[in-house]
Amino acid sequence: MRLGSGRRAVRLAPVPAAALLAAAAVAALLMDHVLPLALLTAALLLLCLQAQTRLRPYLFGTGTAALGLFIVWPFLQSTGIDVIWEGPIVPVLGQLDVTREEIVLAAVSALRLAAVGFAFSAYALLLDHDRLVASASFARRSALAVALATRLVPTLERDAAGLAEAVRGRGVEVAGVRGHARLLSPLVAGSLERAANLAEAMEARGFGSGAPSRAPSPGWTFADYAALAAGAALIGAAVLWL
Amino acid sequence: MALVEVSGLEFSYPGAAHPALEDVSLRLEPGEVVALLGPSGSGKSTLLRALSGLVPHFHGGRFAGSVVVAGVDTRRSRPAALAGTTAAVFQDPEDQVVMALVRNEVAFGLENLGVPSQEIWPRTEEALEAVGALHLAERRTAELSGGELQRVCLASALALRPQLLLLDEPTSQLDPEAAERFLALVGELGGTTVLSEQRTGRALALADRVLFVEGGRILADAVRDDGLAWLAEHRARYLPPDAEAPGGSPAGEAVARLDGVRFAYRGGPEFLGGASLEVRRGEVLALEGPNGSGKTTLAKIAAGLLQPDSGTVWRAGRAGYLSQDPGRYLVRESVLDEVALGVGDDRARAVRALERVGLAWAAKRHPRDLSSGERERLGLAAVAVAEPDLLVLDEPTRGIDPDRKAEIGEWLAEYAAAGRGVLVATHDRTFPVHRRVSLGREALLAA
Repeated sequence: MRLGSGRRAVRLAPVPAAALLAAAAVAALLMDHVLPLALLTAALLLLCLQAQTRLRPYLFGTGTAALGLFIVWPFLQSTGIDVIWEGPIVPVLGQLDVTREEIVLAAVSALRLAAVGFAFSAYALLLDHDRLVASASFARRSALAVALATRLVPTLERDAAGLAEAVRGRGVEVAGVRGHARLLSPLVAGSLERAANLAEAMEARGFGSGAPSRAPSPGWTFADYAALAAGAALIGAAVLWL
Repeated sequence: MALVEVSGLEFSYPGAAHPALEDVSLRLEPGEVVALLGPSGSGKSTLLRALSGLVPHFHGGRFAGSVVVAGVDTRRSRPAALAGTTAAVFQDPEDQVVMALVRNEVAFGLENLGVPSQEIWPRTEEALEAVGALHLAERRTAELSGGELQRVCLASALALRPQLLLLDEPTSQLDPEAAERFLALVGELGGTTVLSEQRTGRALALADRVLFVEGGRILADAVRDDGLAWLAEHRARYLPPDAEAPGGSPAGEAVARLDGVRFAYRGGPEFLGGASLEVRRGEVLALEGPNGSGKTTLAKIAAGLLQPDSGTVWRAGRAGYLSQDPGRYLVRESVLDEVALGVGDDRARAVRALERVGLAWAAKRHPRDLSSGERERLGLAAVAVAEPDLLVLDEPTRGIDPDRKAEIGEWLAEYAAAGRGVLVATHDRTFPVHRRVSLGREALLAA
């Protein structure tokens, strides 16, 4: 993962980068003050913006979820005395007042959600997952299987959409749970076929032929150790002061 | 000394009634480039898998004769042990990619072979550079186009520095421009290469030698000029066509009309900006355009599978739609049931539809037991069985052998002649149609 741009950019190894992002997410959940939370969220957003592609769905998903939470939260709470807006009385919910304290709490919750969402987005968009998995020095095959399964999820989604479309293209509607359930068996058959093709291609590329080697990863730099320390410090600060 | 020596090879897949390969003998000398031609299901892929040791080790089955590659008898070595001596690129790049990042993908084979760590990145970069894909090294494999991904697969094979490169219809999922670039690249590589390919023009131009396989047997094995002469005499459709297929539209009333259609995928920019199109009864209309111009989207709108954001879509009667790569999207347990799905399980109609595409013999088989070419025809039968007034096909000739393409062309002409309309989204200018319209990047269509 790269922090910054141009000549001053710092490249982090996958493990410290993942640890730093996890620490940021944990710290966000621990923080109670709006300003540091907003700064952390903004920093994570800036990090996400370094991604060249696939950024839009992550930003859209995280942004709308956080905004929705910010809007809904004050109406679900009943705290504070500094009333900003007095609403009608709604059965079950009671009076729909909005107080300054509720707004602050809503902002904290929304920022927490946004920070966690952006941390995950940065993890998904910027990290070298292959090398992160390879960093597990044990159970290389199991780690590879997990990585492959993760990579095949979008393919599975595409195949499911293709199956539904193929059936609709024949004039047969795919409706309801039962209609979609009928596509489950061909979907599984299709993924098994893909898996067999992939296994064949892997064998043709020498997978399982003997003692594998590993492409060298650059050793950890000062920045990698600094990232680990920064992650720990962030969590510590969130617990103690923020 | 020959690099490859195949003697009396005979192979049958488990449970198969007929052998996939029969009495195959051949020798390949170092440096030869061989064009391996033949219809779908003729045994080309099986022969390539035999050369890489995947047959019989990966697939099982009955194997007789011998295949010796660089002095190694494939019966005595697993395919993984032959990797490095041979390397293969298969049809669908999506089914070959293991890693998330391009450079890791190319390094994967080198790591498996235990190449010394310090050599892995230099060889990875060298292979990517050889295929003109060094700029993709840091990209995610999931974000690449089909053409880019197939280049990465070729780089992954080249990184192993194989003595024998096996290419199994590597361009079947690519559009003509990407396929042309890929095959030009193969021509520049040198080394011993066996190239199975349905785009015969470029393959024949590259080859020193031509092998023609049919019914599991080698019918022709000759140097290029003699091979071309043999094809001209016996299988003329495999020679590159001289010109695009003739047109000429029969007059007929409209069966579908799209006017000023605009469309954007959710959250994305406008993809179609005011496209218009008319399909008439009695005609086969080709919808052309570069990759990403919106052919598939417009075809789906014409078939009623997508609703436009604005503009009008009018259709007389029903529409049917056959997607790209229909062999992947088969949903039932038998060939007959697959076709009967579109007509409320009317098996009599389904049998007639299967007869029309020459698949009546396979009615009781599982759809996924069919070859790729047979699956394509099954997909066509499954959509056409309901005899929709408008039949929409998306790239129906991709990866199809010349004989089958001609059959599909004739079949569609007959279908249209019965008073229906056919819309074909295609890159293939040799496919016989009555009329062609082009969808440009501005998504403005002249009907």
